[in-house]
Amino acid sequence: MNRKFLSFLYFALTVAMLVVMLKVANWLPMAIQKDTMRRYSSIEDVKATLNIKDIIVPSYFPQNFAWPPAEIFAQDKPFTAVIMEIKHSLKGDVALIIYQAESTAFRPDEKIGIVQVRERVTYSLKGRQVALVTGVCKNDEPCSRLTWDEGKYRIGITARLLPPELTKIAESMIP
Amino acid sequence: MNIAGFLSSYPGMYMAQAFCHSIIAFIVIDRAMHLWDINNPLLRQRFQMMVVLLPVFSFPLYQLINPDRGSVSFRLGSLFDVNRWLHLELWGTIPLGAFFLIIIFITTVIFVFQEMVPILLHALGSKRSEIESEKPEADSVISKAIERLPVEKPDIFVLDDEDFVLFSTTGRKAAVYISTGTMHALNVDQIQAALVHEIAHIARNKKPLLLLVFFFRVIMFFNPVALLEFRKLVQEEEKICDDMAVRLTKKPQALSEVLEKLYNKTDPLQGGSISEMKEFVEDYSHNAHIESRIIRLEQGMVHQAGGEWYKLIITVTAIMGINYFVV
Repeated sequence: MNRKFLSFLYFALTVAMLVVMLKVANWLPMAIQKDTMRRYSSIEDVKATLNIKDIIVPSYFPQNFAWPPAEIFAQDKPFTAVIMEIKHSLKGDVALIIYQAESTAFRPDEKIGIVQVRERVTYSLKGRQVALVTGVCKNDEPCSRLTWDEGKYRIGITARLLPPELTKIAESMIP
Repeated sequence: MNIAGFLSSYPGMYMAQAFCHSIIAFIVIDRAMHLWDINNPLLRQRFQMMVVLLPVFSFPLYQLINPDRGSVSFRLGSLFDVNRWLHLELWGTIPLGAFFLIIIFITTVIFVFQEMVPILLHALGSKRSEIESEKPEADSVISKAIERLPVEKPDIFVLDDEDFVLFSTTGRKAAVYISTGTMHALNVDQIQAALVHEIAHIARNKKPLLLLVFFFRVIMFFNPVALLEFRKLVQEEEKICDDMAVRLTKKPQALSEVLEKLYNKTDPLQGGSISEMKEFVEDYSHNAHIESRIIRLEQGMVHQAGGEWYKLIITVTAIMGINYFVV
């Protein structure tokens, strides 16, 4: 093997080593601190591990929205946050994202990203000021987002739904 | 806004990711230059520029490619999520993010007081005062030293000063200044080598590239890696001008001798005060740099310009590829 080829091989090995080191460095804080953001298998698992008692879940779901959530992410540090992703049982894609967080700066997944906003309104729902954003997602599907404050949490629900259905979900979450 | 809130905001994410991206760029570039034996200062400077340049664009570019890049699921699947470390709490109370913000603050202070303020003061000072100097006589040693050189000659002025002074100014009124003390200390060949080195600086500064790099360095005011790498990049500029001078004069020994005269042996650290330590470190660093220039001139390590772009492209591709997954 000539020297030039070897130098390129060493370079590739260096890059591979760096990738491994980054992976290890990424795993370390999760090993040290158990309550950083990670995936959970169920709501009960979140409650037991992070000791978060007040996880707010809806009691109403539109047809074909499959409970339990397909993905659950949660953390207790630096602030409490829980994200639930619910799939459409027929289409198989994420149709509803619910999050609750102790920070207003928290941003959950953009898996249901409103690409074109049509309207933003604020109105009262069961005594809470809720902010509604309606628009379209990719593939021109209608989608909307509702956010409001519930005690110490900012609650947000985003779905591939029209506002009336989303409002029904929100109503079922407010005591 | 609390620390977690700031680090989750776009400015916070930009700062944290730019910092990580520049560390990775620094590591990959350092290894690439070592493995590929890149000693040409012009090439080295191109590689080092990437440490300053890439982090300026990486975060907005990646966000443009994939707006979902900051999301929880992307972060969980990423190579390295800096927020995991920044949110890590020492003794359950102090987040590491606080130390990161302190580093950013210290870097910003260094940038302002060591780089921006001197530049502004120099700019203001040069507008207000004219340097007392005169043009050399037609038959002087300076005129003889540069008369046969195949380069565009800037104005050369002689300063009435017995100290070793030699510098150039750039811009519209580019000129080289040399003191009478320097003229007495050097022979014709040495004066020629020194002047051509300064002329090389003027020629290089006509290109907007370095100005552009400085502009990007200003954007990275908070980034300690960019701060260090920019200083190395400036040191590389001296070696590039050395090479240009040697190519024109064909007298590396003469330039090496000029540098020897600039070299002040560092006195051992006397007191323990911060100003004494700072002076010692600065002297040591200055001398180490001059020494490395003398060694390469004496060993004939003078390089031709350009070439080997493919190595830079491979390196940049590797950095950009890794950094996409560093959030």
